Amino acid sequence: MADSSPENKNPTLGYLTVVNDEFTGWTGGMLVLDRGGRPIEFQCTLPVRPTKAHEILFGPTLRSHLISEVIGKLLIQKCRTPLSIVCTDLADAMEIEAFTQAPVILVREAIENEDGSIDVKGADELEAVPFAGATFLAPIDVASKVESFAGRFGDLPDAVEPFERIREAIKEAHSQLARQQSGAA
Amino acid sequence: MVWFPQRSQPATPRSTTAQPSDLVSPTPATRSSAPTTTSGSDLVASIDAASSWHLDDVFATELCSLEIPAIEPIAIPIRVPPLRTKVKGFLFPNANRPFVPPAVGNLADPSEEKKRPKRDNKQASRGRIKPPSDMVKLQDRLFYMLQPPLESLVGSGQLNFPFNPFPYQLDGMAFLFPRYAGILADEMGLGKTMQAISTIRLLLCSGEVSNVLLVCPKPLVTNWLREFSVWAPEIPIAAIEGNSAKREFQWRSPQIPVKVANYELLMRDHTILEEHDLHFDLVALDEAQRIKNRTSTTAEVIRSIKRTRSWALTGTPVENCPDDLVGIFEFLSPGYLKPGMPMHQIAKHASDFILRRTKDMVLDDMPPKLYRDAELDLTPEQWSTYEAAESEGVVHLENLEQSLTIQHVFELVLRLKQICNFDPVTGSSCKLERLVADIEEVAASGKKAIVFSQWVKSLDKIKAALQPYGPLEYHGKIPHKKRNGVIDQFKNDPNSHVILMSYGAGSVGLNLQFCEYVFLFDRWWNPAIEDQAINRAHRLGAAGAVTVTKMMAVNTIEQRINDVLDQKREMFDTLFSNHEQPTRNVGLNRDEIFGLFDLRAPCGKKVA
Repeated sequence: MADSSPENKNPTLGYLTVVNDEFTGWTGGMLVLDRGGRPIEFQCTLPVRPTKAHEILFGPTLRSHLISEVIGKLLIQKCRTPLSIVCTDLADAMEIEAFTQAPVILVREAIENEDGSIDVKGADELEAVPFAGATFLAPIDVASKVESFAGRFGDLPDAVEPFERIREAIKEAHSQLARQQSGAA
Repeated sequence: MVWFPQRSQPATPRSTTAQPSDLVSPTPATRSSAPTTTSGSDLVASIDAASSWHLDDVFATELCSLEIPAIEPIAIPIRVPPLRTKVKGFLFPNANRPFVPPAVGNLADPSEEKKRPKRDNKQASRGRIKPPSDMVKLQDRLFYMLQPPLESLVGSGQLNFPFNPFPYQLDGMAFLFPRYAGILADEMGLGKTMQAISTIRLLLCSGEVSNVLLVCPKPLVTNWLREFSVWAPEIPIAAIEGNSAKREFQWRSPQIPVKVANYELLMRDHTILEEHDLHFDLVALDEAQRIKNRTSTTAEVIRSIKRTRSWALTGTPVENCPDDLVGIFEFLSPGYLKPGMPMHQIAKHASDFILRRTKDMVLDDMPPKLYRDAELDLTPEQWSTYEAAESEGVVHLENLEQSLTIQHVFELVLRLKQICNFDPVTGSSCKLERLVADIEEVAASGKKAIVFSQWVKSLDKIKAALQPYGPLEYHGKIPHKKRNGVIDQFKNDPNSHVILMSYGAGSVGLNLQFCEYVFLFDRWWNPAIEDQAINRAHRLGAAGAVTVTKMMAVNTIEQRINDVLDQKREMFDTLFSNHEQPTRNVGLNRDEIFGLFDLRAPCGKKVA
């Protein structure tokens, strides 16, 4: 695990999201970008498929457990690049703050509904910080830290689009995995 | 245990199987014997023990015990293994390289650069780089997939252009950027040159390439240099020219990352490339249809250039038959396509290597292209000459019998087409009459027109008739050095309303979008060449609708050729429209050429 300090001369953004596919399972990806939005590192988990027993026993907490404690935690641990901020589009992933020193924020534009509303529990307790044309929702205790980084990411082309890149990359990894499996069979 | 009420009067002993109704309903005897006037205190009850029964006599009291086994729960363990996964990581070593070129002067809308328009989450980003299917390694594929879309770089001001590119142009750059073999086959006028230059600029700035060779037809060398100065002014570029010593120095110079050479020059200089074992990171061919004939010297010399990446730019990757594409692929990826492959197979195999967009597909605001078929009757003088020439010609061809060749047929076709333009005896011309009338109207409205013909002699005659409208010439007999001056004069001289061009010289690389009228005085064999000619005027920045007048003498060889050209258009559509179904080959084959005169091909059957 590589964490950052505010003194980091080359601040980075770690974008983290998890994709759930009916056939493949839950797969997480973390894309680390430099100030210009270029990729520095990409970490991708293998798909996780909870069993029926997991579904019954974890109940409604399964999703949160998978996203934060299974996938998110591992991605943070394996990331080699020091992170300035961790951005996510999943409210459940906010709990990974327990595993990193970097502030974990929600990218509002990535989670909002068509009418601009968001369905995130506890969203009222998050502070909105303008960041590279988007709005980062940060826990109050780290909002000022996030704000201090905003000025250093003025060149970031788009603060929302990187999630699309992760999803595309996961899809690509899945298809290659499927090809390998079909080749082996 | 069951209890029965004790009775006061004698009764017959009853079985223990009494019905429940006996317990609650008094018997009729009991009811009738009850005195109606006797008070309760007079009643004396006595029990005859001998004839009575007692409960204890009927039921033997017995205590039963039921054994209930103790409940002993058994724990069955359900093992729920902890959810675990593994991570695969990728580090991108090139990430620290500068990807975007430095800003250059004359930026497009600098005032708007810093604005960040509200993001439309539904709209997919344009210019997303997708790796080609022949790139196998996941790390390589992810490197390209995880790059920011070009549109977002432009939007944030990181990537600068002198003019804002169209979204489809960003897509074109995203197509070329990761490709080691690719054909950009956009229709004429959509900016293939700009897309290629901008992608080369990105590749140079990101360090992916450092040594680029552009090959184009000789008349287009200056056009490439000019376009480079607009779209990539910071990139050093030089045209290979001059005497042998100078050229050799230029070829070997590492100071020039982009070199431009024409096809003809490469025929002479390929020995220099071989002697010095020169290698290029990228070789891009403009008007790549030049190498469609894979056995030609040009194709062989081009293929011998050592290179890492191979790009072909052409608006007409197929001119006559699908094998044209095979010729271009011999440069891109030798052996990937085979001559004679079925058309649908070629289309399927080649699809990942080719990006082709038409104006209809990508431009909503492109002015319309209006076709007018001027179907004209030959003048009596022309008819007379034409009929005589045709009948004599056909008789001559038939007399040739086994010695008849396709060349003989071509000669007759050309002779007849010339008569359709002008009667060789009197100079009479139905087309010229119509053209003069039309140009008069064009000039009166202050517009400009291009007239195309296959023959310089025809253009000379047209020029004489169009003198009042300031005709200029641009064809093979105009020296190259004077050609740019002709174009400039045509563009700027208000008294010059018409330019006369040959298909060969004027069909490629020229930007004449200020012209609103195009006249095809005669027809070329190939619709792709005609389209190239038309698109000199109908291209980006066109002033308005472009009217194309195709002149055709009815009931002549021109009409028969026109029918074949229509079939060729159909073939082109099949190859580049992702049709899955195989279609018939509609190229102009040998038999069809003979068929123009209802002739029997030597050693073959008669064709209609």
